[in-house]
Amino acid sequence: MIDIQLIEECRGGNFSNFRKLIELTSPFAYSVAFRILSNEDQAKDVVQETMVTIWQKLKKIKSAEVYKTWTYRIVVNKCYDQMRKKKRNPEFVTDEQTWELISNRISVGPSAALENSEISKIIGLLTERLSYKQKTVFVLSDLEGMSNDEISEITGISKSAVKANLYHARKSISEKVEKYL
Amino acid sequence: MEPGNEKYNKVLDLLRKSKPDLDSTDDIKREVIKRIERVNHSRLSLSDLVDFLFGWVYIQWVRRSLITASIALVLVFIYQQSVILKRIDYLSRQTIVTERENGSAPADEVEKMFMVYRNSGRRFPTKNITISEKQMKELIESVNELQLKYKDLENLIQEDPELKKMIEKKLIENNRTKNNL
Repeated sequence: MIDIQLIEECRGGNFSNFRKLIELTSPFAYSVAFRILSNEDQAKDVVQETMVTIWQKLKKIKSAEVYKTWTYRIVVNKCYDQMRKKKRNPEFVTDEQTWELISNRISVGPSAALENSEISKIIGLLTERLSYKQKTVFVLSDLEGMSNDEISEITGISKSAVKANLYHARKSISEKVEKYL
Repeated sequence: MEPGNEKYNKVLDLLRKSKPDLDSTDDIKREVIKRIERVNHSRLSLSDLVDFLFGWVYIQWVRRSLITASIALVLVFIYQQSVILKRIDYLSRQTIVTERENGSAPADEVEKMFMVYRNSGRRFPTKNITISEKQMKELIESVNELQLKYKDLENLIQEDPELKKMIEKKLIENNRTKNNL
């Protein structure tokens, strides 16, 4: 939990407190970035860029309460930039191995957590045919557990568009799972 | 999401429980601080450069000198403009306006005749004159005619010594009369 007092101090230009803020912000920013991009290095880059932007624009946010939503919005935008770069150099994953991995993990049981490389492969495979909006809405809603209102605020798209994108994303992933598992 | 899709729900549960693990925030912290310092340093360098290039304008005596120089330049400009306007006005008064009339000679012909008149050593008065092309032509023709008659007269006098003597005598008498008056 990020302390509002800490954010207020950072807004005042306190650099040493900003280190603490990086420590608290990085994990959740990394989680979203990694799940959207399915790439560790790119996710770390996004987190770094996000923190630099936060330092530069922290004074401009209206209040410390909106900090988390505001941070998510920066992360999503940075991810979008990364995705556009990534389009030029698409990475290919072997589908069969990944489906086998999913199958094995499901059979073991939900208690066994996945490693980063496995998460990356699975999300990459499931969402490869989704648009950026669909993928972002799916990650924020179904993996990060956010409400449609929050997603609408973070992504800047309307609530109905959030619902539509989420529906298409779920349908596409569900069809894939049905087909290959 | 289809409620009956058990495999889909299992995959989703697996992904939800597997939070991407950020091994250490130290690297991110270090990189973010480095980037922020780099940005701050580049901003500082820019302001230093601007100060170095244009800082001298804040020296009091330089400012006063610049103000004086600019006022002097404005005054010189105004003076030059007034001189130019006077000169234009003077030149505009020297122009000869010619009117065209029906049946008059073409302009270039009149100009030629005008040149002959000028070359005969005569000068125009400095005031404005307004004459028609026809009048100009008549004037020049009469001048030329007079010149021819004068030359004929001269030849006649040169050829006849008695006439020459008589005219000289008459001229001397005329001069004496004028001197007596």
